[in-house]
Amino acid sequence: MTGPFMTAKLSSLERSERRLGIALLMPAFALLGGVVLYPIAALIRMSFSENKLTEPWMAKPWIGFENYWKALGDHRLWEASWHTALYIIVTVPGAVALGLGLALLANQPFKVKWPVRLGLLLPWALPLVFAGLIFRWFFEYQQGLVNNLLIWIGLSPVNWLTQEGPAFFAICVAIIWKTSSFAALVLLAGLQTIPKSLYEAAEVDGASKWNQFREITLPMLKPAIIVALIFRTITAIQTFDIPKAMTDGGPGNATETLAMYIHKTTIDSLDFGYGSTLAVLMFIVSAILTSIYLRHTRRDPSAGRH
Amino acid sequence: MAAVTIRKVRKVFGKVEVIHGVDLTFGDGEFVVLVGPSGCGKSTLLRMIAGLESVTDGEIDIGGVVVNDLAPRDRDIAMVFQDYALYPHKSVYDNMGFGLKMRGASAAEIEERVKEASEVLQIGHLLDRRPGQLSGGQRQRVAMGRAIVRRPKVFLFDEPLSNLDAQLRAEVRIEIKKLHQRFGTSIVYVTHDQVEAMTLADRIAVLRGGHLEQFATPDEIYNKPASKFVAGFMGSPPMSFARLTASGDGKTLSMPSGVVLPARAGLSAGRAYDAGFRPEHVKLGADAFAGAVNTRARVEILEPLGAETLALLSIGGALLTGRFPPQAGVRSGDEVTVSLGAAEMHLFDTETGRALAA
Repeated sequence: MTGPFMTAKLSSLERSERRLGIALLMPAFALLGGVVLYPIAALIRMSFSENKLTEPWMAKPWIGFENYWKALGDHRLWEASWHTALYIIVTVPGAVALGLGLALLANQPFKVKWPVRLGLLLPWALPLVFAGLIFRWFFEYQQGLVNNLLIWIGLSPVNWLTQEGPAFFAICVAIIWKTSSFAALVLLAGLQTIPKSLYEAAEVDGASKWNQFREITLPMLKPAIIVALIFRTITAIQTFDIPKAMTDGGPGNATETLAMYIHKTTIDSLDFGYGSTLAVLMFIVSAILTSIYLRHTRRDPSAGRH
Repeated sequence: MAAVTIRKVRKVFGKVEVIHGVDLTFGDGEFVVLVGPSGCGKSTLLRMIAGLESVTDGEIDIGGVVVNDLAPRDRDIAMVFQDYALYPHKSVYDNMGFGLKMRGASAAEIEERVKEASEVLQIGHLLDRRPGQLSGGQRQRVAMGRAIVRRPKVFLFDEPLSNLDAQLRAEVRIEIKKLHQRFGTSIVYVTHDQVEAMTLADRIAVLRGGHLEQFATPDEIYNKPASKFVAGFMGSPPMSFARLTASGDGKTLSMPSGVVLPARAGLSAGRAYDAGFRPEHVKLGADAFAGAVNTRARVEILEPLGAETLALLSIGGALLTGRFPPQAGVRSGDEVTVSLGAAEMHLFDTETGRALAA
């Protein structure tokens, strides 16, 4: 066995090449350690301590799993988790479905392609919090576009952002609009890998446009749809900016997400210990979903294709 | 089964006219090959018959129905694509049955027809596989199977063998010929390979730059090419040419070196003509056939093929290819005597390239 780790058998040339390789990797390792590993380690350590900036005289005692037991019984945490789950359930498929529509539209043989592509990219390029502010204005009670439309078609205006159900609906609309362009970009890339001759063969075989979509586009697009769903799910767990800008979690805590609750605990209430515990719990959920995604993408995507 | 008529068909892409008014009529059950170099419009013409390209001008008629405005699915044709275009996520069985399913055939009927076609093509053991698990030759068969199960009026083949290696190509070629003999359905087949055209076709349409050069049987194409282009394109190795000048009385032609050949038709005195010789009409030795003109030739290059040797010969300022016997004892650089088949010589107008009436 002469594996790459049998250092004793390496020639001096190979040894010096290996040293150079390690030296070249060091900056990347240092950066990764500084911005990823250290903060995570510090977060985990902090989650086992009591650390309230509002009570500096209490110091920062190590309290073991106390924060975690507290989290298990924290009604507001479960509510925020439930809201986050609802956002995921509604906005992830919603964004992918709308994204699929946009991708199919952008994939049409337009003579001038850039306006369509630009229209696709704009929501994606817009900062989340701006999207939130724009939609807050849309759903505003008095000057809002949506209520104006409702009045115009003869319906009565709705208190969108101050009632539980309508607020949740308005936030979902904003998230779906904002995130569908990302899904559309992933799906458009997938659409463009489907050979045109398959549609021609189906055309000759007698398939209608709808059957071509069902029998060719959808199955061929399945890998891209799964990637879009998983990617969107991972970011949806962290939903923060749009509900923050639109309702700040209100009315009450009715639209508060996990990330918003963590933010409030840590930044507004200055409870760094418990806030860290909540962040660790969210990190674990994200890590599990990300690993599912990685396992999926590591499988040979070309398997079964020709 | 149906006859196909193409009347004055033109095709314009943007500002580029790629087919300049082609007229062709194929009989019912006929095997027609469209052949020509890349860009000659043969694939475009096929795709217009299929309905995958619109017809700019003119008419396409399948079985007595003008199909210009019919969608491909309403034309009752089946097509085998160059890249096979098999549905990668469907099994071989579902690939073959897809067209029937889309046309509302019953499961039992689909099964019967797929089974039948897969037996004919010997792919019965592959029905559960996906296209990705098949070799190139097997995919090719599945693509043909998908066309056969439909029992269409016309089969369209778009360079179906171009992705196969040479040996497989020869096998599948025979397979396709057998299929045509068995089903008797009209076939329109596109290829750039003149061997495929010669071996498969009942009639060959030679296209060049969007024009029809000649539409005739392989025998006629080979022995009576309508133009210098057809003569040079069809045949392996191709016909070789020499520029000759007609004598004052128009009854003989002479090479720059002074070799004189008798002319059959009345020629314009002093005018130049392109004379074409098939390699089999350039033979080693004097008086190899009746009416031969003997001349000296210098052997430039020899290409031994086993059963025969091709010789590139320099004769009086022209380069002609000859078929020599395998063990002729000739080396390149030798001066030899060859017989030119003057009676089999083809004459072409140097300007239009059209063949002179014999």
